[in-house]
Amino acid sequence: MVLVSMGSLLAAFVGFLLASPWTAIPLAGFLVATGYGWVRHQALLARAVTFAMTTVTLLTLGLIVVFIFAESIPAFRYETVTVFGVSVPGLGMFVQPRWDAVSEPVRYSLLPMIHGTVMVTTIATLVAAPLGVAAALFIAEIAPPRVRELVKPGIEILAGIPSIVYGFIGFTVINPWASDAFALNGGSTYLFVGMVVGLMALPTVVSVAEDALTSVPDVMKNGSLALGATDWQSMTSITLPAAFSGVSAAVLLGVGRAIGETMAATVMLAGVPRISEPLVNVFYGYETLTSLIARGYGSANGVHESALFAAGVVLFITVLCLSLGSQYIEARMRHRLGGVE
Amino acid sequence: MSRATQTALVRDDRTLYEAVAGLAVGCSGVAFLTGLAALLDLLSIDDLVAGLELSVVLGVVVLGLGVSVVGFGLTSRLGYVETEAQPSAGLVASAAFTGIWVAIGMAISGVAGLPTAGQLGIGAILGAAAFATTALPREDIGSTLPAGVVAGFCGLALVSGVVGPGLEQGLAGYNATLFGDTVVPAVVLLASLVTGWSAANAYGGFGARGRNIAAYVLIYLVVGSILAVLVGLVAFVTAKGLPGLFNGFGVGGAGLLRWPFLTNGAGLLADTAGVFPALLGTVWLVIGAVLFAVPTGVGAAVFLSEYAEEGRFTGAVEVATNGLWSTPSIVFGLFGAAFLIPRFGNQKSLIAGMLTLGFMLLPLVLITSREAILAVPDEYRDASAALGVSKWQTIRSVVLPAAIPGVTTGVILGVGRIAGETAPILLTMGGGVLPAKSAAPNVLGGFQLSASPPFVSNPALLEATSALPYQLYALITAGLSGNIQNPQEYAWGLALTLLLVVLVFYAIGITTRYYFRRKLHQ
Repeated sequence: MVLVSMGSLLAAFVGFLLASPWTAIPLAGFLVATGYGWVRHQALLARAVTFAMTTVTLLTLGLIVVFIFAESIPAFRYETVTVFGVSVPGLGMFVQPRWDAVSEPVRYSLLPMIHGTVMVTTIATLVAAPLGVAAALFIAEIAPPRVRELVKPGIEILAGIPSIVYGFIGFTVINPWASDAFALNGGSTYLFVGMVVGLMALPTVVSVAEDALTSVPDVMKNGSLALGATDWQSMTSITLPAAFSGVSAAVLLGVGRAIGETMAATVMLAGVPRISEPLVNVFYGYETLTSLIARGYGSANGVHESALFAAGVVLFITVLCLSLGSQYIEARMRHRLGGVE
Repeated sequence: MSRATQTALVRDDRTLYEAVAGLAVGCSGVAFLTGLAALLDLLSIDDLVAGLELSVVLGVVVLGLGVSVVGFGLTSRLGYVETEAQPSAGLVASAAFTGIWVAIGMAISGVAGLPTAGQLGIGAILGAAAFATTALPREDIGSTLPAGVVAGFCGLALVSGVVGPGLEQGLAGYNATLFGDTVVPAVVLLASLVTGWSAANAYGGFGARGRNIAAYVLIYLVVGSILAVLVGLVAFVTAKGLPGLFNGFGVGGAGLLRWPFLTNGAGLLADTAGVFPALLGTVWLVIGAVLFAVPTGVGAAVFLSEYAEEGRFTGAVEVATNGLWSTPSIVFGLFGAAFLIPRFGNQKSLIAGMLTLGFMLLPLVLITSREAILAVPDEYRDASAALGVSKWQTIRSVVLPAAIPGVTTGVILGVGRIAGETAPILLTMGGGVLPAKSAAPNVLGGFQLSASPPFVSNPALLEATSALPYQLYALITAGLSGNIQNPQEYAWGLALTLLLVVLVFYAIGITTRYYFRRKLHQ
């Protein structure tokens, strides 16, 4: 019975992958088999079904990789550059700065967008990292319980405000103000997009860093306090060093959030794929990887659409590496604080 | 008797010193708030205060603060007051002051028209001087003198009018101009921050206690400003959105309640344009995502924490879950566009949006459910097993009920997050800018049976549908204009509706968590 159920589920999945209209039949088979099995062999089936559900996360990650890569292949092919007689697909996206999908020569360089993403992320990190760590210290170490009960949900709510609302405020209030206050051509600036994105990445940094700080065993802090150290001394010389890896993992995750933030950047930026002059000019706001996709998808087709998927591949890989890095750091910290060498 | 008062424990001789330092902290706070108000255009820097322009008054205050901060340091160094100053102000303070002075040096030389190399040179010289003044002398000088000089310098610039309302400084090559309106408040903010820190340090008598107080002042300031931003944002959107949201609102009449903004579509026929189709779209979107993600996530959490042995497989699932959690929403959108759309009629559709958001919700549900299940004490499982109950029965009737509060909280908070997501549905669900009421999805009435595969179809699920966040985005890209009476008001009302939907989920989630936690501790 379990075999029938799982087999039909697999068949339904394969059918769905092949976009077959007959998918419904194995799916119905799965439902019937599972329904029958639920009555007769519940325990056995529950184990099988929960196992199938567990594979969904792995499967999703796998499907994301396969489909985004597959869609981006034409763009990588188009941007093939020959170096020393070896043709490297996709290199053209990173060695020349021209992105123009309409007029000749049509080129799809991702450099302008990578530059924009780096600018926004740098500013966002400068905002989110110090403020986030300070707020995490406050919640974990300083605040009396009653205040903590107030501040913690507050920061969670900050994470809940939809990014498009931030973007809307940025578009209607911040951009006109910036344009006026600095006499700019248009109001889009990496400076203020970065600040807004930093505000949005802040809750991630706070909650992960706070977890790391509270996971430092109390005996360590108490030992320091018993020696007559002040709270601040215990924090800077005991808690922060002990939780350092966790706090840096928090900052990494915050950076990941900032890189992937889409709507605020899309709405506030000008949408011109160009590199600002001079490179560090924060008073221009052209385009980031995320806003390029959000703005261009739908009207794009062919190689252009594929180039947007290539931007998605770059984003996905960067953020996945950050996530893996922070997980590795956290695992190491847990290992060390657990005392298991 | 007289000896008793001279021990270090009773610091009578310092009360005046402490009072003055405390006053300086307070003045810095007032200067900071004034600067902030001027930056936000609540105050104008050329307003007259006691016959002087505000910027000049602020300059006098900042100058006074700088002088008094240096005074605190000297008083302590010369031994008039007993403090616990340490041999050096420490590395962090030195680095901070070095940074500030490098920035000041580069800014001044940049204004003077020096090339980049010259700017860096001046910055390096001033920075090195600041580092030496901070790190080398005893702490009471090291943490006051550089701060006082920063404030004095800023104060002089403000008083003399070099930095004043009339300032207009083009940034060569940057295509931007700095005006007094923004520079004066920024200078005041910087100076008051530095003097506030330094005065708080002096208030605590330097040393460990002084640093403790000074650091706390900064941390409280950070947390306070984060909360202020939060409250300010919500209040701002509420104030802007209320007129739109309650446009035509009434009690009584034909129905019990008239709320056209929430029950009307947009269009030429509707007397008051409303957001009904998008609201319904969001509701269905959330329902669909929850139906997909919650059973899957909870099932996976059960398998991982109850059945699976810790090993490669669980490790891989954990890594994949965390990876999915941090994957950018736009990448989920691309995935939905590449994977789901070709399988559901090759066009943007409600069901593609539902499943895409379901994929996003899955890691959130999985992580929180797993935590909730792991938090169920092992005694419960042991007691159940000791009674001879099978493993699955234990999970079903002991573990899951005990874990339900945690799971519910996680699901509600996760739903709050995905309800506001725009990027994924932008690529997968689409919809009109100003949908009429007839465009609202009719999911329940839409099911149809047919003789050809896939046998069951529902056109409502396969149509492009609008949702609140998407409609807001579409309105912005349309330049906040459209075939309705007051697009600006409409857009703000829409933003407020979206914010309220999300905040209601968060409020419910946080309250449930609070409630169950209190119950657990009783």
